[in-house]
Amino acid sequence: MQIGQKPYVFSFALKNIKRKPLRTGILVTAIALLVSALVFSLSFITRVNGSIKKTSDRLGADVIVVPTGSRGAAEEVLLENQVKSFFMDKGVVEKVRQAPGVETATAQTYLVTLTGLCCSVPESMIVAFDQDTDFIIKPWLKDALKRRIRKGEAVVGSESAFNINIGLMEVDSMLFGNVFRMLGVLEKTGTGLDNAIFIGEENMGDIIKNGKANIKPDQISVIFVKVRQGHDPKRVAAGIEDSILEADAVARKDIGKSIVHTLRDMSRIFSMTVVLASVLSLFLVWAIFSAIANERSKEVGIMRAIGAKERHIVRLFLIEVLVIACAGSVLGIIAGMALSALLGKSFSLLKNLSADLNAAEHIVIALISFFIGSGICIIGALSPIRRLKKMEPLMVIKVD
Amino acid sequence: MPQLRIENLIKHYAVDGSMITAVNDVSLDVEEGAFVSIVGHSGSGKTTLLSIVGGMITPTRGRVLFNGMDLSALDSDGLSEYRCEKVGFMFQSASLLPILTAKENLLLPVAFRPKQSAGAQQAAEQRAVELLQAVGLGDKINAYPSQLSGGQQRRVAIARAFMNGPDVVLADEPTGDLDEETEAEMMRFFMSMNRDKGTTFILVTHNTELARQAGLHLRMHRGAIGAW
Repeated sequence: MQIGQKPYVFSFALKNIKRKPLRTGILVTAIALLVSALVFSLSFITRVNGSIKKTSDRLGADVIVVPTGSRGAAEEVLLENQVKSFFMDKGVVEKVRQAPGVETATAQTYLVTLTGLCCSVPESMIVAFDQDTDFIIKPWLKDALKRRIRKGEAVVGSESAFNINIGLMEVDSMLFGNVFRMLGVLEKTGTGLDNAIFIGEENMGDIIKNGKANIKPDQISVIFVKVRQGHDPKRVAAGIEDSILEADAVARKDIGKSIVHTLRDMSRIFSMTVVLASVLSLFLVWAIFSAIANERSKEVGIMRAIGAKERHIVRLFLIEVLVIACAGSVLGIIAGMALSALLGKSFSLLKNLSADLNAAEHIVIALISFFIGSGICIIGALSPIRRLKKMEPLMVIKVD
Repeated sequence: MPQLRIENLIKHYAVDGSMITAVNDVSLDVEEGAFVSIVGHSGSGKTTLLSIVGGMITPTRGRVLFNGMDLSALDSDGLSEYRCEKVGFMFQSASLLPILTAKENLLLPVAFRPKQSAGAQQAAEQRAVELLQAVGLGDKINAYPSQLSGGQQRRVAIARAFMNGPDVVLADEPTGDLDEETEAEMMRFFMSMNRDKGTTFILVTHNTELARQAGLHLRMHRGAIGAW
């Protein structure tokens, strides 16, 4: 039996932990709850931030121009996979092209399908784009199709393909009273446009003529802008907003800011919850280890009397704390991830986010949560352990 | 040079605002291999003296030298090493750890020694078994304290005091819970360890018959020590 040897310390610590299973259970549960709250909050925030960044990076545009007051709706389409339409006059495209610092601009029109009324597909976004000026969709199409989309043809985003069950087969679908041949599926991009069906702008005339879409002639939804080299996208966006009254412009880096503002309050609530849970856990660990210190002071006195050094006592109790902290943290990570997965399906914001967490992000979140959970457990126990290590062996001696 | 030299030891305690003198100017030389008994009434300072010699409390004045080494010069770790390797202590109560078996309780002082080879650890386990057999508990090696009687627990604690092969055994009423027969048996065990291994004994007891078996009989009265 060697207290400096891990197996012995471990078995001694485990024996001590098993002494009071209810108390150990309460401690492990408290740490698990704290860590699960941490994992959930971090997963949520990381996922939202990742989604915003991914969409912003993928768009390939420096500035996005939308109808005045539709910025939020545009972000919901791009970031949250929401199905929405909004329109402005097509003439805005030319005005944007004339704006200082603009190198090129391309327009897209967003239409919403309604099952049964206009279309044979479930509710989806239809994105009509100008193939001559487009620099947003074409890079994806290049690999999938290797040619222009003809009139009466469409390609679908990876999620839309799932929805309308066409896989990679060519099928005909009714869109706004027109038959479209679905040519294939685009690769998953991780943006809201994965839920869309893409058609060429030349189809818009027939769609409007059939009168089944809620759009007037010469309307578009959004303009994507590339700025000239050396120009600041924020300044270009500000210039567009100043000169074109009917349009709002947003630089790529600012995409998702309104969502970020909304999320800031949610993040604050999460942070407050985590801080409160941390403080409560800290007090709980401190209180329980103070009780343990009182209960076992005689034992520590015996150990000190027969030769234990202060560091032996610290090591022994730290192992107990670490075992509890590790058990609580691991359980908390599992619970937190399960909670994130479960709530991800019912939280509308999470459900619609395009970016999911990758393995590395899961690992980082798990590690951060593990260290914070364990750290709080160790900090809470430090003061009682410090008191124990300073205990004099006199405790066991009855002084005459 | 005596193995233990106690020089002008004084220990005061503050109790309820007044000062109590537990040990009053005690000086004593104990040679290596000696068997010293100390008798005295409760509160006469026996346990306090033993605790100071065992490096568990510091005196108000005076000093204890072990083989010429001044205990007051040792830091916390130094005193722990002294208690671990040089001294075997038998407390007034059995003082066993309830979650450890009899054998594990014996191995506890060994666990606080510096790291040892696997062979040394095996030897320690063998020694623990032998010591438990020597105190008549060969069949209780894996029993927990709660499964032992008070007398059996006391015998485990006695065996534990010898685990690290101490130079000096400080025994504070070690046979208090034992019946007469077992008490005599334990005394014979102490005598054999003193005779065969040369272990020095300082035995504090109320039992004058036991005390008489020691080579040197001392008596404490109101903190002072004298021949008996």
